[in-house]
Amino acid sequence: MSAPALNAFRHTAVAAIAAAALLTGSSATAADPGITADTIKLGMFAPMTGSMAVGSLTLLGATAIYKSVNDEGGINGRKIELVVEDDGCDPNKTIAAVKKLMSQDNVFMIHGGWCSGTALAAKPEFERAPGFPWMVLGAASAAVSKPTLPNVFQPIATTDTVAKAMVDFALSKANSKRIAIISHSDEWGKSHLEPLLANLKKAGIEPVETAYLERGSADATSQILRIRNAKPDFVLAVLYAPELTLYVRDAFKYNLKVPIVTTQGVSAEDMVKRVGNAAATSEMFVFYPLNSTLEAPGMQKWIDMFKKYNPGAPVETLSFLGSTGTLAVVEALKKAGPDLTRAKVIDELNKITNFNPGISSGSLTFTPEVHAGISTGKMVYMPTGEKPVIVDKYPAKP
Amino acid sequence: MLGQLIASGIVVGGIYTLMALGMTVLFRSTTVVNFCHGEFFMVGAFAVLLTQSKLGWLMGASIVFALVLMYAIGALIERGLLRPLQNAPHISLTMMTVALSYLLKGLSRFFYGREVVPLPPILAGDPIEFFDIVLAPQDVLIVLFSLFVVLVAYWFFNYTRSGKVIQAASQTPRGAALVGINVPRLRNIMWGVGAMLGAMAGILIAPTTLVYPDMGGHVLIRAFAAMTLGGFGSLPGAVIGSMSLGVIENLLGGYVSSALVEIAAYLVIIAVLIVRPQGIMGEWRQGRG
Repeated sequence: MSAPALNAFRHTAVAAIAAAALLTGSSATAADPGITADTIKLGMFAPMTGSMAVGSLTLLGATAIYKSVNDEGGINGRKIELVVEDDGCDPNKTIAAVKKLMSQDNVFMIHGGWCSGTALAAKPEFERAPGFPWMVLGAASAAVSKPTLPNVFQPIATTDTVAKAMVDFALSKANSKRIAIISHSDEWGKSHLEPLLANLKKAGIEPVETAYLERGSADATSQILRIRNAKPDFVLAVLYAPELTLYVRDAFKYNLKVPIVTTQGVSAEDMVKRVGNAAATSEMFVFYPLNSTLEAPGMQKWIDMFKKYNPGAPVETLSFLGSTGTLAVVEALKKAGPDLTRAKVIDELNKITNFNPGISSGSLTFTPEVHAGISTGKMVYMPTGEKPVIVDKYPAKP
Repeated sequence: MLGQLIASGIVVGGIYTLMALGMTVLFRSTTVVNFCHGEFFMVGAFAVLLTQSKLGWLMGASIVFALVLMYAIGALIERGLLRPLQNAPHISLTMMTVALSYLLKGLSRFFYGREVVPLPPILAGDPIEFFDIVLAPQDVLIVLFSLFVVLVAYWFFNYTRSGKVIQAASQTPRGAALVGINVPRLRNIMWGVGAMLGAMAGILIAPTTLVYPDMGGHVLIRAFAAMTLGGFGSLPGAVIGSMSLGVIENLLGGYVSSALVEIAAYLVIIAVLIVRPQGIMGEWRQGRG
């Protein structure tokens, strides 16, 4: 073969190899796992059993939206196929569930994680797979989306937002200077406690008492007496529902009648039922992640949808905690088009700006740099134990 | 504050007492350390809750039903699962109770996993104030009932023939069998009684802690610590250990740091095992005779 012919052959060969590589590459991208001609396999995980199983309401709220989307024809011709795993709010179970969803079920993306401890346990799995999209379901720890991973999106008010709102609310009470804190000491508790202390420090306030009440406790006397002795104007409570019930009941019994502001880990309606004493909960303010109360006309559409797909399941605030994130997933899948890839979905999620279907307390915005999507919230309380009232500062008047 | 901390410590110590007594009764009569006692605690509370909320039963009827049910469950567990292992090593019996613990918890999660629900107190009403001490009527009931059970158990094991036979049968089962004592039958009864005591503790504390599948774990650890402090197998030791632990937790939490409440039980276990392994009332036994 002559030199020019050899060169021509070389150029042709290089071009052919490059074309083949491009083709192979594009076909590999188009064939991301979990996608077929008519389905998108989506993995979900949340606590369905155990003492934190109330988180399953958030998952049911999300699945109702996905099922409704399917009934309306799906997304770009594909139906969403859900694979749901119970994480039991247990980090070890969660890691196993995420690995199963990723490797065994071969889902396209994951939408899950209600407990902060489990979401943080799952985070390294997604760090090792930076092209695999994960929309967090309801876990609020700011550490889930901070530092930002390219594939992890947190569509709810994080603990940083909640803590700031709690401190601002407590300080909105006239002459409120003496702040006490009662908290769990686990990962979830710490994820609130640190920003609470930081926000108090910014306001020039040192808590008059910081008491710890652990999960499963049967008595809160020593914690309540310490707080009562500190004579606080407001108590910031970072407790899950069983222990918050114990605290609220016993605080009332020991005549510690100080307003309480707490996180979105509980719902006001549920707490009023559990405590069973409207006087004890009349000044218990709960961070409210929704735009309006469940009675508001704007929520009816979402309540009807929840009931349709989950007959018999209780309709509570937590049922809609993950709804905005779910709608954001649907939006991104739609915009990514029929040639669906994980990279395209991540790209579309990064473009979501001021997304507000009217469910959450604020609009959702993701950028490549910030994946903590909602930065506002209000408080809800039930002054008479009957109707919830949303307020943004104390004293609260209907 | 001191009076209140001690009074509340005695109340929660009353719950630990009922738990520890149930475990001690079983340990004395069968030498088995029962890791599913926390689940007896939980199932008893659920039985009352469900008969009240689903069937509309009165509190008294629900409690009687729950106690009979728990006796039957305890006796069935002994007959069906532990008696076949009666000649197996201790570890096999212990592992069976561990497995049962997870099984009962798993079953209750399966059927009732999403709910954390309150149970009405047996004695409702306004708190009772005595100087600076405030107690709910249910708190008083817990203490009185615990004392009653302690006295009955003490009388039974020390002053009745049956109680002495049960202890003798646990210390030398072969010897007891040789003189005509039906040892398996006695063990069966004690499993039923132990389960009833666990259930009663659950029913008494559930109005405070709420009812949920994992409610027994926290109290089980306290009962172990109380038994270790009082002396494994000692009835007075179980009472002294339980009451002391309840008060220690509250005093540490009230005067030192609330963070110590959670670890007080573990500190007690470690300290007792190092300083006085047989516990305060010391009835340390090895083997099953």
